Amino acid sequence: MKQARALWRILAGLLKELSDESAYERHLKAHGALHSAEEWRRYCEHRLKAKYSRARCC
Amino acid sequence: MKKTLGQILWAGIAILGAYSLAGIALNRGEKVSSMWLVVASTCIYLIGFRFYAKFIAAKVMMLNDKRATPAERLRNGHDFEPTNKWILFGHHFAAIAGPGPLVGPTLAAQFGYLPGTLWIIVGAVLGGAVQDFVILFSSMRRDGKSLGQMAREEIGRLGGITALLTVLLIMIILLAVVALVVVNALKGSPWGLFTIAATMPIAVFMGLYLRYWRPGKVLEISIIGFVLVMLSIFAGEWVAKSATLAPWFTLSGIALALAVIIYGFFASALPVWLLLAPRDYLSTFVKLGVVLLLGVGILFVRPDMQLPAFTRFVDGDGPIFAGKIFPFCFITIACGAVSGFHSLISSGTTPKMVAKEWHVWPVGYGSMLLESFVAIMAMIAACVLQPGVYFAVNSPAGIVGATPEAAAATITSWGFPVTAAQMASLAGDVGEESLFYRTGGAPSLALGMAHIFASSGGGRALLGFWYHFAIMFEALFILTVIDAGTRVGRFMLQDLLGNIHKKLGETSWMPGVIGSSALIVVAWGYFLVQGVRDPLGGINSLWPLFGIANQLLAAIALCVATTILLKMHGAKFMWITCTPLAWLVTVTYTAAWQKIFSPVPRIGFLAQADQLQGALDAGKIAAARIAETQTIIFNNRLDALVCGVFLVLVTAILVDSALLWAGILRGTREAGVREAPFVVSRLRPEEL
Repeated sequence: MKQARALWRILAGLLKELSDESAYERHLKAHGALHSAEEWRRYCEHRLKAKYSRARCC
Repeated sequence: MKKTLGQILWAGIAILGAYSLAGIALNRGEKVSSMWLVVASTCIYLIGFRFYAKFIAAKVMMLNDKRATPAERLRNGHDFEPTNKWILFGHHFAAIAGPGPLVGPTLAAQFGYLPGTLWIIVGAVLGGAVQDFVILFSSMRRDGKSLGQMAREEIGRLGGITALLTVLLIMIILLAVVALVVVNALKGSPWGLFTIAATMPIAVFMGLYLRYWRPGKVLEISIIGFVLVMLSIFAGEWVAKSATLAPWFTLSGIALALAVIIYGFFASALPVWLLLAPRDYLSTFVKLGVVLLLGVGILFVRPDMQLPAFTRFVDGDGPIFAGKIFPFCFITIACGAVSGFHSLISSGTTPKMVAKEWHVWPVGYGSMLLESFVAIMAMIAACVLQPGVYFAVNSPAGIVGATPEAAAATITSWGFPVTAAQMASLAGDVGEESLFYRTGGAPSLALGMAHIFASSGGGRALLGFWYHFAIMFEALFILTVIDAGTRVGRFMLQDLLGNIHKKLGETSWMPGVIGSSALIVVAWGYFLVQGVRDPLGGINSLWPLFGIANQLLAAIALCVATTILLKMHGAKFMWITCTPLAWLVTVTYTAAWQKIFSPVPRIGFLAQADQLQGALDAGKIAAARIAETQTIIFNNRLDALVCGVFLVLVTAILVDSALLWAGILRGTREAGVREAPFVVSRLRPEEL
């Protein structure tokens, strides 16, 4: 049961990381900000700009 | 006691791996179960990971968990963030797994299942995973520096410029070749095209949803997007059967190529949040889900390999691409064995997220092994098809004949029986008009995957759904590579143009954005159209070019890695990176030389150009085809030139590196390691 919970935590963590939701939570924490549409858009500007300026794998 | 048990366990894994490998390598005549490939590869990966990679980690890299990583020292909540190692493993795997490990093995199956399988396993354990591992380690010890920066600092200025130019050129060829795979999969397929076309409004809807309606809810909208995509697959069947709608979605190769080019331009120039990012989220989740599904399907069905260990095409006369096993098998399968592109990921986001130094062992080495396993699964999916069907789908009309009957007769004469009626029945089952001449690898891979999925449940009745599900997965995945790649190519070009005129380098200046996007799109679009028009199917010329380019990038990465190992330990451990480097240089230089200078017209670009020029001069070309022939002649010479440029660029970096190594070994050149200073880690396990 404990292992299943740990596996679920990793899986959920991976999904949140791949969806950038974890990065957004870190962004809010780092800037001491609360979630809002405006904050999300500001975060997206920065995050997506960096993410899509790097080469993608084949 | 525990140690003895461990030794017995590892001895058992080694014996099982050797037995399975001998089984697939020595078996002739009887059909081999795909499980032998799964068991052999898994055992060898485990041995490679536990012993070879651990040796490199402990003795060569001297990983030290007490040393703070850049993620800890430079933590900023954005790029630099200590991350749980399994989450980072998944993140890194999702970033390195592109369409390459799926398409390459499917094409290389023309030699039989054995050459490609051995190369995938051995290449990954001794080459590809080592490259990813050492580059990730090197970048982590250098505060997450990119491959280009490391090449400039460790080898010299020439190395940095060469790396940048090579990446830009490879990107152009990569985008053209993957676009060609999509075009060949979707031409004349209203079901497939409708499904893919539907992903665009779905992605825009997802973008608007995230931006205005439910900001930040990426997982939520990804689930909604996935449901909508699945519905579009069902709707696609209805569209394909509609007399009114089907013609709208039945496009020729050229029309589709133009559509993909226009799409690439808009995807590059539009705001990222509107189309690119939502499509990327969707693509990533579908990709991981399908890889998992395929793995479970293979374990559940345990299909037999229908293709033999070796086919007659080991002689170099294959219909899919011309050339012998050496060197062409080794450049056809790049991703899955050794991929230079991985070095860009290993020196990109990942090194900035490593929490503890020892995590680079599973993340760098382990995730490449998983990608290699994906390539094994693709090889299985291709080889579970009847050989006649496999060659009918993948062979161009220019080789097998322009009518289904002629093609079936040619393929049967090779010893792989197939009939036009059999192919028509199969096409009917998957809801396609025809499955002949569907070159590029994607349709045959989709057929193999559909066969495995349908055998797991649903049977023949669901074959059409699974085939289009697989096509949707491949195309979605590839279009994400195209739009993201065009954008990155645009940034690289703007970076270069900014040196000429400062304004051109500004990524927010609209004329610069539009102009550079157009230039990149025209560059890969030209090669795409060339591939679509090629009577030999395009894959014959473009895939080897891409394979050579990708492996040459790996050679650059291994030069950087060797330089770093040399500076750390002298010549003692150079063999670790020099062995795969020597192999890649031998393979790629031989392949490039043959692609340029081989006297066989199907292999050598110049020989094909000369042959056509001769026919043109002798008046053997019909008047209606003169212009087209002149274009093919020009394209062949252009391909030879591009291949030559790759060789010159990599030779420059090789010579530069060799001079540096000789200088370091003689003591005439500086051998200082340029790592970030040692800082004691204070990161607690509960923080991860």
